[in-house]
Amino acid sequence: MGKRKSAKSRLLPFPVIAAAASGDVDAINAVLKHYEGYIIALSTRRLYDEYGRSYLCVDEGLRRRLETKLITKILTFDVA
Amino acid sequence: MEPYSHEKHKQHAFDSFCKKILKNEALNYSSELNRQREREVSLSELSAQEMDMLFSMDKYPSEIFSFSVLNFDVEVNDERIGEALAALPEEKRDIILLHYFLGMTDGEIGNKLNLLRSSVQQKRTRALRKLEKFMEGKA
Repeated sequence: MGKRKSAKSRLLPFPVIAAAASGDVDAINAVLKHYEGYIIALSTRRLYDEYGRSYLCVDEGLRRRLETKLITKILTFDVA
Repeated sequence: MEPYSHEKHKQHAFDSFCKKILKNEALNYSSELNRQREREVSLSELSAQEMDMLFSMDKYPSEIFSFSVLNFDVEVNDERIGEALAALPEEKRDIILLHYFLGMTDGEIGNKLNLLRSSVQQKRTRALRKLEKFMEGKA
């Protein structure tokens, strides 16, 4: 692979999208897996302790919430 | 070529659809947190006045001393004062109640009870003494 991310790896294959939108569990899991990195990036919060040092920390509550939201919304995606 | 480009289009649409959902949900979450932070106050940071608003005292009829004077009903919530008033002779108690709880002047009380203003004043002063003695004796 010349580029670190080829166009192929950035987009989910169409059949997976179609299956996920119609409620296929494996396909939905594949979608979640695909966006795992983005979800974690969004749920990462910077926390400070009493000395002002900063820590990066994944907010599990937010991560679960994003996953749930994504699952419910995938099902509304219009494939046609 | 047509079905291919349609699928390609859908792939991109799905990708942006998912990213928008995630991003908006993350924004919702952080604005909810901010809202909560604005309205939430730690219990230890509440002022005494705000703390007083957190509870209410129950009123029980048994704890209220109720006296009737002329046509008025007077309720006394404080137990010590209620007991002290109950211990007074009726006429003196009436004068105290009319003056301090109903805000009448000695002259007005005199008219109601057929007494001179000066004797009302005298009785009132004596009644206060008596109350004072009673409450000090108890305390």
